[in-house]
Amino acid sequence: MSCGNPHEMDCSEVLDKVYEFLDGEVSEADRARIGQHLDECGPCLRQYGLERAVKALVLRSCTCDQAPEQLRVRIVARIRQISITYRAQDD
Amino acid sequence: MSGTGWATWVRGNDRAPPRVATPVRLIAVGEDGRHALSGGALGLGSLPMSDKTRGGEPGSGTDPDKVARFEREALQFLDPLYGGALRMTRNPADAEDLVQETYMKAFAAYDSFTEGTNMKAWLFRILTNTYINIYRKRQRQPLQTGSEDLTDWQLHEVESHDSRGLRSAEAEALDRLADQDIIEALAALPDDFRMAVYLADVEGFAYKEIAEIMDTPVGTVMSRLHRGRKLLRAQLEDYAIERGLIPAQVAGPAGEDE
Repeated sequence: MSCGNPHEMDCSEVLDKVYEFLDGEVSEADRARIGQHLDECGPCLRQYGLERAVKALVLRSCTCDQAPEQLRVRIVARIRQISITYRAQDD
Repeated sequence: MSGTGWATWVRGNDRAPPRVATPVRLIAVGEDGRHALSGGALGLGSLPMSDKTRGGEPGSGTDPDKVARFEREALQFLDPLYGGALRMTRNPADAEDLVQETYMKAFAAYDSFTEGTNMKAWLFRILTNTYINIYRKRQRQPLQTGSEDLTDWQLHEVESHDSRGLRSAEAEALDRLADQDIIEALAALPDDFRMAVYLADVEGFAYKEIAEIMDTPVGTVMSRLHRGRKLLRAQLEDYAIERGLIPAQVAGPAGEDE
């Protein structure tokens, strides 16, 4: 998919790196080049927008996971129990 | 300590629930000494963030301060670990057991954790290892068992979506999907893809950290992210069509437009 216009960075290269770009894993130089390409190229911008939407949706759907309070209580109790077992053996 | 032992102990389908069995085991762990679970047993031997010890002077395992320090430093990540466990196991009961087991192992190996390094990544590494070593082996779900290879229908799904082109309205349509749709689409991904996506998108780990957590090269992490996200997007597009958020005549149902 391409808008057909020449760019400093090819559409295929931009689309190859779209996830790395989204994840902040590209170099500063690539970041600027990809950003410039997205300003110029509608099809790549739409693809980027879609990938960004999916990434945001994953975060949205998973951010309200809260561990049950009784799990925290249980874990703390177990850890303290282990510690007591150690001390009893060392004495 | 054999993998089989853990597997049957932690949460055997046909045995007593772990909260009954665990105290018995904890005593056994204590009998092995304070380094009852070595880094090797946890698969942590090569982990750069944990390859130095904190001193390990005699008696450090009995230090009440150690308990307080662990509670302060490690328990703050309970919610994210539970969230990760929920994505891995896909059910709350298994997620709770997995998280509890993770904290028990982390506490046993706490002396090998290097202070000042990434505690959250260290805990996620233990969580992932525990899941792989215990839960995934028990599950008899061939389609979910972390295969790097996509099945034909999955590949077809991705191909058919890619060839269809993309519309900006689609991104807006996806935004209107319910959280439950996203969760189901995530749950349908192969384990390794799902975890890579979760660690990157929800926890915001860098590729290098995900590579350490999943004990795999960065290139594999990128491949898992790439393929996992493509599958996810395809599934979400299907949901958007099913929910009437994208007109079927515009987007076309997946798999019918060869």
